[in-house]
Amino acid sequence: MTLPRLTRAEMLWVLLLAASVLLAALAHVFPVLRGFPAGLTLPLADWANAVLTPLVEALRPLGRLVSAAVEGPLEAIRAALAWLPWPATVLLVAALALQAGGRGLAVFAAAALGLVVAMGYWPKAMNTLALVLISVPLAVGIGFALGALAHRFPKLQPALVVLLDVMQTWPAFGYLIPLLLLFGFGPTAGLAASVVFSIPPMVRNTLVGLRGVPPAIVESALMAGATPAQLFWQARVPSALPQLLVGVNQTTMASLSMVIIIAIIGGFDDIGWEVLSAMRAAELGRSLGAGLVIVLIAVLLDRITRGFAARGRRTGRRVLWIGAAAALVLAVALAGQDLLPGDAGQRSLRRLDGWLLDFVAWSAPFFGLLRNAITYGVMLPMRLGFSGSASPMVWGFALTPAIIAAYALASLALALWLGRRRPMRGIAFGFAALLVWTGLPGFPWPGVFALAGVACWRAGGPGLCALALAGLALAGVSGLWAPMMQSIYLCAVAVLISFALGGALGVLAAESDRFSALLRPVSDALQTMPQFVFLIPALMLFKVGEFTALIAIVLYAVVPPIRYVEHGLRSVRADLVEAAVQMGATPRQMLWQVKLPLARPSVRLGLNQTIMAALSMLVIAALVGTRELGQQVYVALSKADAGAGMIAGGIIACIALVADRLLRTPGEAPGRTD
Amino acid sequence: MTRKSINAAVSAFALAAMGFGPAHAADPGATGDTIRIAMLEWTGAQITSQVVGRVLEKAGYKVEYVTAGNYPHFQGLADGEIAVSPEIWLNNVGDIYPKALEAGQIEDLGTLGLQTNEGWIYPKFMEELCPALPSWEALNDPDCVAQLATPDTLPNGRFLDYPSDWGSRAATIIADNNLPLTAVPSGSEGAMLAELRAAEAAKTPLVMMFWAPHFILAEVEVGWIEMPPCVDQSNEHCIMPPDVNKVVWSGFAEKWPAAHEVLKSFRLSTEDQQQMMLAIEQGQSLEAVADGWIAANEAAWRPWVDAALQ
Repeated sequence: MTLPRLTRAEMLWVLLLAASVLLAALAHVFPVLRGFPAGLTLPLADWANAVLTPLVEALRPLGRLVSAAVEGPLEAIRAALAWLPWPATVLLVAALALQAGGRGLAVFAAAALGLVVAMGYWPKAMNTLALVLISVPLAVGIGFALGALAHRFPKLQPALVVLLDVMQTWPAFGYLIPLLLLFGFGPTAGLAASVVFSIPPMVRNTLVGLRGVPPAIVESALMAGATPAQLFWQARVPSALPQLLVGVNQTTMASLSMVIIIAIIGGFDDIGWEVLSAMRAAELGRSLGAGLVIVLIAVLLDRITRGFAARGRRTGRRVLWIGAAAALVLAVALAGQDLLPGDAGQRSLRRLDGWLLDFVAWSAPFFGLLRNAITYGVMLPMRLGFSGSASPMVWGFALTPAIIAAYALASLALALWLGRRRPMRGIAFGFAALLVWTGLPGFPWPGVFALAGVACWRAGGPGLCALALAGLALAGVSGLWAPMMQSIYLCAVAVLISFALGGALGVLAAESDRFSALLRPVSDALQTMPQFVFLIPALMLFKVGEFTALIAIVLYAVVPPIRYVEHGLRSVRADLVEAAVQMGATPRQMLWQVKLPLARPSVRLGLNQTIMAALSMLVIAALVGTRELGQQVYVALSKADAGAGMIAGGIIACIALVADRLLRTPGEAPGRTD
Repeated sequence: MTRKSINAAVSAFALAAMGFGPAHAADPGATGDTIRIAMLEWTGAQITSQVVGRVLEKAGYKVEYVTAGNYPHFQGLADGEIAVSPEIWLNNVGDIYPKALEAGQIEDLGTLGLQTNEGWIYPKFMEELCPALPSWEALNDPDCVAQLATPDTLPNGRFLDYPSDWGSRAATIIADNNLPLTAVPSGSEGAMLAELRAAEAAKTPLVMMFWAPHFILAEVEVGWIEMPPCVDQSNEHCIMPPDVNKVVWSGFAEKWPAAHEVLKSFRLSTEDQQQMMLAIEQGQSLEAVADGWIAANEAAWRPWVDAALQ
């Protein structure tokens, strides 16, 4: 067997692999190579506090001013929604829905809101709506301004894009303490976090929209003698409007999801608070009911804003005016009457808890087996590695020199065999074998630096490389190396499972319209249902620990691959499919050799979004007892340590940025053989 | 003599006997301004808040209940956005509380009067699996420990600890006594309750850190482990019943002097709170339960109000 000639890039990876193997072997003798050495840590959190505290103190008067300015209108909207009798509100929303999406949507709106009333969540739902009604215009306004500014001065764009990514990936709990100091206890702190999180989609869509304005329109406006202001407001903005409305839609959804999470502050008695209280009491029925309310509100807001986005500016608003007038009449006629039903809805929701417990009792042996199988088979090897988990207690044999040698030889032989034609395959297998040996968190830290540095350099140039190394150094120096590796390990396992499962579901959905229609509401619900709701049944079936965290993450991160894979496969050009059929491709060949390769950009984007979703769940998953960065964010919160929270959150944002850039830039990352 | 004045006399006597000195009337202060009372996440604290609020209303004040998260609400107290937080468990205040107390932003008004308990609990059915329970010696029995073991903790048994952000002594106490257990942090209160309910339903063994009064104890029958002797009496090595205190914003006494007096004398017993928790668990509303307490316990709260105002 002759080895193929290696390119320079392949040589580099072979060298890195050899160095990593050597480091891993040495780590058994020198433990200093395993975890980041404690001697190199610095009191970074204290330094951050030394900067943050005076800064926040100085900005405090301004923050309080903003609070006062925001809370006035917020209180007014809340009072108005509380005053409006629910039949009037339902009528108004139904009229809006009729205008935006036709009769079907109007019926759905009425039914959905009726269910909210029946379940006994109406006042809380209206409080949440008040929060969204304040946060969305703020986010849309700021986002539009930023987008327009970046369009006018394109030099700002690279910095802005990084800023937007940070805003979307930095966990809100990480900067909660400074927000509270700045704005005081109250809804403003939560609203600020929500606005920060929901600005980015508006900026992105504004940029895309303004960029896409046809030059002909701009030219004809200029020929007609338009001033710069006229050119912008009367030519560019109207023709970018559909894209701007897409931005409004996405901003609304982002805002709603953050308003729920940030309810942890309290002070507004909204539906997010209800979800949190139910989670705290571990009551499935109550939290599922509250979660359902959020799903219904989200779907309604989504369909209504999307309906307006699709129709753009339309005349003929008679229906809306008639509806509004009727609602007003109802409001005056019914004012002050207590029309809300009692707590019958709540009581029937509570019955769910009994059913869940019956199910837990009945299914305990099965789920116990499943939990043990995945813990032994996947989690422990990934966490401790073969070297750490191979003990008579766990796998039934001890780690003797003979077994070590056998493992090394078998890995080497397989790597050579796999790499005989495509060397990168062999190299990738070599890394995998090494990872299984050490476990992800136990991989020697100098090796992590070297690998991340080289991979990022090759994929994204010196900037990305610097970012990755800075993030790793930040984690190491602040003493968070182990939690960071735990986070990466948990996310890696979750992404593997989510992507395989979601991808398979996406393929099925692309093949069958009926399955797709069945899957869509499930995906919608999984994505908008507050993630806290999943935690209760997962906890009861799988107990506190990483495995439950994994389930919770997978349930959320499984949605992007479903959507993107289906979308990618469905948009493969029909003529290419036709050509493959005529060449006699079997269904399997069609999928693997025609459709999936053609859908690669979409699939890659799906993988990217899966990783983002998994990372964003880390902080939520910490509520079931994990040892990763999300947990550090809570510990910092309980200590009122703004600096530590910012650092832990910053490392999560850094991981997200690097993962995003690695997958976004097509380049020669390991494992890519073409 | 009317009943009211008898009560007042009795209360004046009682207060004098307790060392408070003669009851002196305080100025009601800004009765036009609403007193904002924190409603924290757990049922017990919400009951206490509602009862406190009703007593303050009887004293002529306007009150408002503000839902608030445990850690964030200290910022509200420090700023005066929240005026009172009547049930603060001093074992779960992080570093925020001592910081605010030290800065003079909040004032501790002393005990709420709850008889608390803290320790290691197990669902009652476990006494069949580990006959030595409730003695801690049971946790040295290999048969018992084997039933508690999970893949994560092998060969040790699994001990469900408080969430990491609460701070806990369980790991230290396990080490002090060389118990074959591994403490696993639970992440949240909801996680602990879910595990306890599931353990009871599926009859799977569980030992965990817990506290009382808590509404779950009315739902699941548990036993408290008789703890091994402490290595020393420090908070690190020994579990002692936590203090539960009433805390107000530092400007409270000046703004509402009489309300300050009422809050100082306010007490709520564990039995009363547990009965109210049970009523809520059985489907009564929080407000109705608090109204019920006010109606049934005038003899308790009337003296606090009268002593402050007259």
